[in-house]
Amino acid sequence: MTASLDPTQVSLSVELGPLHLEHPVVDASGTFDLLEHARRYEGDYFADFPYAAYVPKTVTADARTGNPAPRVTETPAGMINAIGLENPGVDAWIAELSTWAHLRQPVVVSVGGNEPGQYAAVVRAVEEHLAAAAPGAAPSIEGYELNVSCPNVSSGLQIGADPAATAAVVGSCRAETSRFLLAKLTPNVSDVTTAARAAVDAGADGVSLVNTFTAMVLDRDTLRPFLGNRTGGLCGPAIKPIALRMVAEVAQALPAVPLVGMGGIMSGLDALEFIACGATAVAVGAANFTGLEAPARIVAELRAELAARGLATPSAARGLALGD
Amino acid sequence: MSQAAGEDHVHGQQWAETSHCRVAGVRHFGAFTALELVAPRVAAKAAPGQFVMVTVPGPGFLLRRPLSLFTVHGDRVGLLLEARGAGSERLTRLEVGESVDLAGPLGSAFPCVGVASALLVGGGIGCAPLQYLADELAAGSSVTAAFGFRDFRAARAAGAFAIERLWVASEDGSTGRRGTVLDILRALDVPPGTVVYACGPTPMIAAVQRWALDQGLPGYASLEAHMACGTGSCHGCVVDTARGRLRVCSEGPVFALDEVRP
Repeated sequence: MTASLDPTQVSLSVELGPLHLEHPVVDASGTFDLLEHARRYEGDYFADFPYAAYVPKTVTADARTGNPAPRVTETPAGMINAIGLENPGVDAWIAELSTWAHLRQPVVVSVGGNEPGQYAAVVRAVEEHLAAAAPGAAPSIEGYELNVSCPNVSSGLQIGADPAATAAVVGSCRAETSRFLLAKLTPNVSDVTTAARAAVDAGADGVSLVNTFTAMVLDRDTLRPFLGNRTGGLCGPAIKPIALRMVAEVAQALPAVPLVGMGGIMSGLDALEFIACGATAVAVGAANFTGLEAPARIVAELRAELAARGLATPSAARGLALGD
Repeated sequence: MSQAAGEDHVHGQQWAETSHCRVAGVRHFGAFTALELVAPRVAAKAAPGQFVMVTVPGPGFLLRRPLSLFTVHGDRVGLLLEARGAGSERLTRLEVGESVDLAGPLGSAFPCVGVASALLVGGGIGCAPLQYLADELAAGSSVTAAFGFRDFRAARAAGAFAIERLWVASEDGSTGRRGTVLDILRALDVPPGTVVYACGPTPMIAAVQRWALDQGLPGYASLEAHMACGTGSCHGCVVDTARGRLRVCSEGPVFALDEVRP
């Protein structure tokens, strides 16, 4: 057992591919709205922004109204949602960028669609905007996360479950940008390493996992599906052990590939467990719904958890759960 | 953790909303429970129609529960609950001296400046925010309320309210007029220019909307929705309105009566 450190001796910064992060914790797309948090904060939220990078809600080429209500409910040790990628479309999204251009942290744009061309159209629109934007007129967009794993869109196809389709999406976006490209993988497959390998071979710089598990909740009176979309995505502490296993599998299969681990992170210890399973960075999702102060708390707890174990950096913890 | 946490210390106090609140009073009215909580920060900023997210004590409850403000007196806020699932059932069993975390006040408020005559229409647990509204309107407005409940046990909730002109209907005829709030509304002599404030189940909102339109009365509706965050991030609580799909937690819960699409 290594002697514990004083928390001030811990340096939390990590390098996620070309992204320098002041600590390993980012938000999971769709669970955290920067401007909604900022308007409820008494201080300067941009100065105190708790995450090391901002991953906004998934943007698609065209506006989407999302799924009918109800869209969310609690489940044992978790929750289920079927929002359906509601968003204003990439043009309207770009038009709002100047309102939060002063965010200091890097931004990773979450991109969605039904087929490769729709993903590529979003990346192209963002790239064209950035090329033309005056300095300081847009936030520092440093990468993209290709959401090939939303379980709640009625395309009839979950791209991430098909390695060839995943590769096609990654390839089409790779052609549009030289920025950092993550593929966000679905856990609704028997072997998550196959999809991870397909994404990397097609040009992804890293992978993030897991998105939610396709699941169903019934109305207890009618015994009919509770959600307007019938099925939804399960997240929260209930999925953490499965997510840890999947992150470890990808880390072992593709040891050189940067991983963003997520799935039920509620505390700094949860975050540390994902790092121990091979993640470079971690994303917080459902915990954002439990209180506006959750992100800062989790970062502080991660620092304390590392210090208590005598680990001076997140890198020192990375992969401790892997191997013999 | 102390100062040692350094630059990423938990700045919990800078969230206007979050308060650790002691339960100062619990009263039961049939199917409903009225809680009184010591919540000075919430009370200082609140307006009628706004809501709070309440943490359910104990393991197993991930999400907070949205509850509209029932009363605000000094540093106390009142909440009215009906046990509908395990979480709300646990909240009805809170005892004096226990604590819960509140986030709020959240959402939009009932506009109530310059209202000479107000008609408050509530159904079931939806009556809750109308007490706070009645208290706020009392100084300058003539206030009439019509509340509907499904049965005798629910109608005992009327005892939790202190509104001078309060008409009650129950579907089983056990309390007040047999029928729904619409039966009360049709029997009322409503002065022109009266502002209607409605909160209740979706079919009631739809019926009140039609009635108010027929009468040429302006008004507001407070809507209910299943929520995850309550603070604008998750888009779980959207409703259809004349302005498109809007979030009950953020653009609502109070909307113009003629813009909702119940």
